[in-house]
Amino acid sequence: MQKDYIHIILADDDEDDRMFFTDAFEELKIGTKVKTFNDGVYLMDYLNAEDCNLPHVLFLDLNMPRKSGLECLNEIKANSKFNDIAIAIYSTSASEEDIEKTFVQGANIYIKKPSSFKTLKKVLSEVVTTNWQYHTNGLNKDNFLLRL
Amino acid sequence: MPYRVYQKPWFVKTVFYACSFVILLVGGITYRNISDLSQASDLVTHTYKINVELEQIFSYLKDAETGQRGSIITNDAQYLEPYYSGRENINNSFVELRELTKDNPKQIENLKELNKLIDVRMACFQKSYSFYAATDMNNPKFKENFLAGKNAMEAVRNKIKEMILLENKSLEAQQVELHKNLKVTPIFLYFVLLMALLLMYGAYAKIASNLKRLKKSNMQLEMFKESTNLSEIVSNHGNWIWNVEEDTYIYSDNLYRLLGEEPHAFLPSLEKFMEFVHPKDVKKLNKAVEKMMASENLPFTYFRVVHKSGKVRHLKAFAKKVVNSEGKTQLIGTTTDVTEEIKSFKLLEQRNHELERNNKELQAFNYVASHDLQEPLRKIQTFLSRLEDKESENVSETSLKYIDRIKTAATRMRLLIDDLLQFSRTNKADKAFEKSDLNLLLEDAKQDLAEVISKEKAVIKANELPNIKVIPFQFQQLFINLIGNSIKYKSETRTPEINIAYSKIRAVDEPKIKKKKGSYHKFTFTDNGIGFDNTYAKKIFILFNRLHNKDEYSGTGIGLSICKKIVENHKGFIFAEGQPGIGATFTVYIPLK
Amino acid sequence: MTVYLKFDFHAVCKKVLEDSLQAHDIKYNLTGFGEVELLQKLSPDKKQDLADTLQAYNIEIVENQKSVLVQKIKDTIIDMVFNEDTEVNVKTSAYLADTLDHSYGYLSNLFSEITYTSIENFIILQKIEYAKQLIIKNNLSLTEIAFKLNYSSVAHLSTQFKKTTGITPSAFQRIISKRREISQQQ
Repeated sequence: MQKDYIHIILADDDEDDRMFFTDAFEELKIGTKVKTFNDGVYLMDYLNAEDCNLPHVLFLDLNMPRKSGLECLNEIKANSKFNDIAIAIYSTSASEEDIEKTFVQGANIYIKKPSSFKTLKKVLSEVVTTNWQYHTNGLNKDNFLLRL
Repeated sequence: MPYRVYQKPWFVKTVFYACSFVILLVGGITYRNISDLSQASDLVTHTYKINVELEQIFSYLKDAETGQRGSIITNDAQYLEPYYSGRENINNSFVELRELTKDNPKQIENLKELNKLIDVRMACFQKSYSFYAATDMNNPKFKENFLAGKNAMEAVRNKIKEMILLENKSLEAQQVELHKNLKVTPIFLYFVLLMALLLMYGAYAKIASNLKRLKKSNMQLEMFKESTNLSEIVSNHGNWIWNVEEDTYIYSDNLYRLLGEEPHAFLPSLEKFMEFVHPKDVKKLNKAVEKMMASENLPFTYFRVVHKSGKVRHLKAFAKKVVNSEGKTQLIGTTTDVTEEIKSFKLLEQRNHELERNNKELQAFNYVASHDLQEPLRKIQTFLSRLEDKESENVSETSLKYIDRIKTAATRMRLLIDDLLQFSRTNKADKAFEKSDLNLLLEDAKQDLAEVISKEKAVIKANELPNIKVIPFQFQQLFINLIGNSIKYKSETRTPEINIAYSKIRAVDEPKIKKKKGSYHKFTFTDNGIGFDNTYAKKIFILFNRLHNKDEYSGTGIGLSICKKIVENHKGFIFAEGQPGIGATFTVYIPLK
Repeated sequence: MTVYLKFDFHAVCKKVLEDSLQAHDIKYNLTGFGEVELLQKLSPDKKQDLADTLQAYNIEIVENQKSVLVQKIKDTIIDMVFNEDTEVNVKTSAYLADTLDHSYGYLSNLFSEITYTSIENFIILQKIEYAKQLIIKNNLSLTEIAFKLNYSSVAHLSTQFKKTTGITPSAFQRIISKRREISQQQ
C-alpha cells in the first residue's frame, strides 16, 4: 500500500522554503508523502530510528544550523542501510566546483532553489519522475546524477 | 731582461753585499799599503841606525887613536881617557849592531870581520902604547907597529864603508820593490772604487724607484682606505677581521660608529663587543659566535645593539673564512646597520597585513552580500510568482503592473548578485591547476550556453585547442563569458558567428605583450557583433563598466572583469579590440610555463 | 576492495523467474522478456503465493492490460537501445507501432498516462543511461559513443546528456572517477 506513495523528506531550516516545498508537492498531485525537518540533527535522529520509514528521495539544504547538509550526506553515505535513498542537495547556490564536490561525495541530485514557484514545481516533478524511472526500470543508481 | 734583473728583489741585497765586499777589499789593500809604507820608513831608519852605529864605531876608534897619540905626545895620561872608554863604547855599539843586523847573515859576517879588524887595531894600540910606556919609541918596531896600526885603521874604514854600502844597497833594493807595489795599488783601488760607486748608484736608483712606487701605491691605498671608510659610512656597514690563530680583532672605523662610539674608542675584542649587544639578543648572538668559532664561518645573523645614548639599532653580521697571503686563517666579516630596512620591512609587513585583511573582509563582504542576499531575493521572487499565479484575479490592473515592475527589478538584482558572486568566487587561492583539455572545457562551456546558442542560432568555430595546466572551472567560465558576451552584443542583422583561434607565440613577436620574455598560448575570440569604439578597449574590463544602457543590453559590467581576473589568475593578459558595426576581438595570452 | 559489475538484466530476471516458477511447481513457457505463458490454471491462492515470491525480487505481476502494453513498450525500447544488433535505422515510432501492433498515437498516450513521462523522454533516458555505461567503461571516446548511439554528432549527444542530467558528459566522467578514487582510498 505504501508503494502507491513516493516517500519524500526535506531538511531545511528556512520556514518559507519548507512551505514552498510542501505547497509545490501538494499542487503537483503526484502520490507523495512529504515530511520536513528543521535541521540535520532532527533528520538524522529520525533516519537512525529503528522503525524508520525510509524515504525514496531525501532533500538536503546545505546551510543548516547544528548539522549541515554535507555532514548529513556523509553520515548517510557511510551507512549502507541508506543505500537506496536518492539524495538531492537543495541549496541556494554554489560554485560549479562545490556542486561537483557534492556529487563526488555521493549526492544524486543537485537543485538550485528556483526563484519562481512554477519552476520549483517543474523541478520537483522532474526529480520525482526521474527517480521513479530509476526505481521502476532497474537502472544503475550509481549512475544517477541530476542537476537542475 | 736587464730591467727585470733590476726589478728583482734580491738585486738590492746583492748590491749591498757586493759593495760591502769592495769596501772590505779596499780597506785590506790600503792597510797593506800603509803597512808597506811604514815598513819602508822602518827600513830607512834601520839602515840609518846601522850606518850611525858604524860611523860611531869608527869615530870611537879614531878617538882612541887620537887620545893615545895625545898622551904619547904630551905624555899626559889624561888623554888616554877616550882610549880606555873607546873600547867599551865600541863594544856597546857592537851589541847594538848585532841586534840590528841579526836578520842579515851577510852583515853578521861583515860585523864579525869588522870586529876582528878592530881587535887588530886595538892590539896595535896596545903594542904602541907598550912601546910608549917603555919609552922605547925609537924602536923600529914601534914605527912598524905604527904603520900596521895605520893600515888596520884603513881596513876598518874600508870595512865600514863596505858595510854601509851593502846596507844602502839592500835598502835601495827593498825601496824599489816597495815602490813598485805602491805604484800599482792606487790604480787598482781607483777601479775598485769606481765599480763600487757604480753599484751603489744602481742600488740607489733601484731604491729610489721602489720608494717612488711605494709612495704611489701608498697613496692609492690611502685613497682606497678613505673611500672604503666613506662607503662604509654611506652604506652603514663596518668591516672586521678575526685573526683566528691569535684570537685578535681588527675593526674598521665605521664599525665603532655602528656601536655609537668614536673610531678606536676601545680595543676590539669579543667581550667588549658583547657589552653593546641588546640583553635580549646576547644569548642568540653568543650561540652564533660559538658556532662561528667552531665552524669558522658566520651565516647571516641579526641582532640588536644598544648605544651608550640608549639608542637601539638593528645589525646584521656575516663572515667568511679566508687564508691570507701569509698563510694565516682569518675570518673576514661585515656588520651592517639594517635598522631602516627592518623599519620599512615592518611597515611593509603591516601594510601587507592590512591589505590582506582588507582583501579578506572585502571578499567576505562580497560573498556574504551576494550569497546571503540571494535568499531573500529568491523569496521575494517566489512570492511574487505565487501572487501572480494565485491572486492575479484579486488585484487591480495597476497592482499587476506594479508587480511586473517589481519582478523586472528583482530579475535585474538577481543578475547583479549572481555576477557579483561569480566575481567573488574567481580568486586564485586554493584553486588547483590541472592539466586540462581545453577542447572539452570549450565543449562544456557551449553546453552551458546551449540554450542561448540555439536560440540565437550562433555558430561557434574553434581550432584544435591545446592541453594545458589551468584552473578548469575558471577557464570554462572564461569561455562562457567571452562567448556569452559575443552573443549578447550580436548584430541585429547577422547571425552571431564566433571564431576561436589558437596558436603558440613568442612574446617578442607580439606588440601587445609588454614583457618581452618567454612564449605564450594565444587565443583569439573574434565575433561579428556590434563591436565597440577602440577608445573603450581598456575600460570594458573594469568592474561595473558598461558601454551600453541597461535597457538596451542586460549586462552588469561584471562578466569581462571576471574574464580579466581569470586570465590574471593564470598570469596571462587579455586585450580587446573593436570595430563599431563590424565586430570585436578578444585576445588572451597564457604563459607557456 | 571494490569490483565493478556489469549486469545483463534480461538474464538475471529470466533466471529469477525460472527459479521462482519451478519452486512453485508451475509449468511455463517463456514467450518474451516480461511475458510468461503459464501452461496451467492457477488457483487464486497459488497465484498470490507466486506474486509474493516475485515481490521479493521487485517483480510485479502486471494484471492490467494497459500496464502490460506499457511494459511491452518499455521492453521494446530497452531492447532497441541496448541491443546493438537491433536495426535502428527505422524510425522508433514506426518500429514500435509495427512491433506492438498499435498506432503510435495510442501507444504514446497510453505510455504518458501510466508512467507520467513520454515515450520520447523514455527513449532519451535509456539512451543516456547507456551512454553513461559506455563512458564509465572509459575505453570509448565521446565520438565513438555518439556513433554507437546513433547521434548525428558529439555536440548533439553532449547537449542531450546535459539536458537530461544537468551535467556534461565530461563532468559526469570526472565525478564517477573521483568517486572511485575515494572508495579505493577507503
